[in-house]
Amino acid sequence: MAMQLLDRTIDVSTSPVTPASISAEQQRAVELFLFHEVRLLDERRFSEWLALWSEDGRYWVPRFHDQLNPFEQISLFWEDRMLREVRVRRVENARNWSQQPPTRSAHVIGNITIEGADAAGNLIVRSTFQLTEWRSEQRQLAGVVFHKLAAVDDGWEIVLKRVNLVNCDAVFANLEVFI
Amino acid sequence: MTLSLEVLASCVRADSVHKRVYTDPEIFALEMERIYGQAWIYVGHESQVPKTGDYHTTRIGDQDVIMVRAADGKVHVVYNRCPHKGAKVVADGEGCTGKFFRCPYHAWTFKLDGSHLSAPLKSGLEGTCYDPSHPDFSMKKVARVEIYRGFVFACQAAEGPDLKAFLGGVISSIDNLCDRSPVGEVEVAGGSFKVMQSSNWKVFYENLHDTMHARITHESSYVAAREEAKTLGEMPFELLIMDGNGEPYEFWEKLELRAYPNGHGYMEAIFDPAAATRDPVSRAHFSSLSEAYGEARAREIMGMNRHNTILYGSGSPHTVFQQFRKIIPISVDHTMIEIQTFRLKGAPQAVFDRALTYANLINSPSSNVMPDDVEVYKRCQEGNRTNGGDWVSLHRYLGTDLETPDGWVSTNGTSELPMRNQFAAWKQYMLNPPAVTGAGQLQSNMEDGHATA
Ligand code: FES
Ligand SMILES: [Fe+2]
Repeated sequence: MAMQLLDRTIDVSTSPVTPASISAEQQRAVELFLFHEVRLLDERRFSEWLALWSEDGRYWVPRFHDQLNPFEQISLFWEDRMLREVRVRRVENARNWSQQPPTRSAHVIGNITIEGADAAGNLIVRSTFQLTEWRSEQRQLAGVVFHKLAAVDDGWEIVLKRVNLVNCDAVFANLEVFI
Repeated sequence: MTLSLEVLASCVRADSVHKRVYTDPEIFALEMERIYGQAWIYVGHESQVPKTGDYHTTRIGDQDVIMVRAADGKVHVVYNRCPHKGAKVVADGEGCTGKFFRCPYHAWTFKLDGSHLSAPLKSGLEGTCYDPSHPDFSMKKVARVEIYRGFVFACQAAEGPDLKAFLGGVISSIDNLCDRSPVGEVEVAGGSFKVMQSSNWKVFYENLHDTMHARITHESSYVAAREEAKTLGEMPFELLIMDGNGEPYEFWEKLELRAYPNGHGYMEAIFDPAAATRDPVSRAHFSSLSEAYGEARAREIMGMNRHNTILYGSGSPHTVFQQFRKIIPISVDHTMIEIQTFRLKGAPQAVFDRALTYANLINSPSSNVMPDDVEVYKRCQEGNRTNGGDWVSLHRYLGTDLETPDGWVSTNGTSELPMRNQFAAWKQYMLNPPAVTGAGQLQSNMEDGHATA
């Protein structure tokens, strides 16, 4: 369990190796899944958000444009299940001084395209996002997200979420909640 | 000037400081001149500019400077200013400028040490005092540069102690960081984070050895880490480094704080070195050091287990997790922290992995730890702007500090000795205006030139 973070066997590439043939209906289902995901974040329903992930899913926000992997360079976020849970626990702790007032957010997702599938057959989905955040002051974040989704009985689970912030190399004060 | 030496002196008492030292923009401006203008400041590491023409921009206080590698292999530090119209010669960041600097405005060019190379259409300068060999036509060098084990420091004052004398007892932290490599060398790797804090720069220095805040400010993160560990039935490294802040007061009281002249100091580590030999990463690290230096020396190197060291004016190296946090004042109420990670050359890859994980989880703007620090610093800044009182307390264990031949040691790890020591240095700097400052001085040579032209 420990040090899942350093497991270099995980496929962090978001370039498809095979095309994915999916129906218009499935495409719509993927879109609704993404809308649902950001709604959970905006409504701070973090435990429901955690449940969207596969057991070994990774959440990644690179620090550099075109960063190849999270192993040789620092990342803004590189989190496995354990660290996602810790973040949620901290944010929900009553003595989270820097979440008073809490971060409020509104995501807009668009330009959703199915890029193809990775070697393991996960669907690679690309979208762009605009995120308005407010805590003491308003801030705007934006970028491109890659989701790798694995098909499960009743829909999808997230195997990888890579968020390419347009300003990943900016000076930040804090990034406390998931993007 | 409203700030006479008397006024400045009255801001610092043995047991407290006046809040205006954190909030007064005039004091900030004077600090840039009298502290950042006189102290040796860490600019960057040689490994950031490996090849000829490689440069890295940074700041010494409010001064934009460039660290650059010249063709002869030497590292220079020059102000980022073109002597023609004053344009910044390179954009902030890093890159390679090739064989020379070329100003993007009118193409004056400079050698990599800043000296004047040429200007276009020289004929138009004929009959003027234009003289390529005169310093007024070159990018200005910072007065002094010294490199210690790859760490590049610069000093804006031509006179004063050399780097080693300036650093005194804390130079051992730089040594220990390098000695942790089996070949005795480190390099900056993996990129650096930049974090903005809405608070005065001194607040962060004080916090580095403020052991009284850890279990209060970081309660949400160590509680979260402990809850998570409970569900897992183990405490992996990622959680252990968050858990440390939750130690009880008795633990912090037992630590030793060291203070040295010029505001420097260090603090004993939070993590037990014996515990470290039980983990596979430290064991592999230990054997690589044993092979290089012998077991006794390896034990000595790894046994020097320090938490944050304070190099006053520069920032804070962390030897065990191979970090350097450069603390860069931006304005009276804004401070930027640049967090560098080092690779220990020749050490097992896992040692670097651990440093990277530490940087990601403890120092990054998205860590579970730092935002709460940043929040309380901001609250200090905001609270000190109110009329709710004028003095900031430094009372803890006042008068109990023990003098050593080269500095002081606390009797108790929760002592405010480090803050008192920093303000003793602050006072010393601020009451000693530099005889010659770079800032605002008329370039007399240029004037002479005009008189004779
Ligand atoms: S300002 Fe640099 S060449 Fe004119
Ligand atoms: Fe802290």
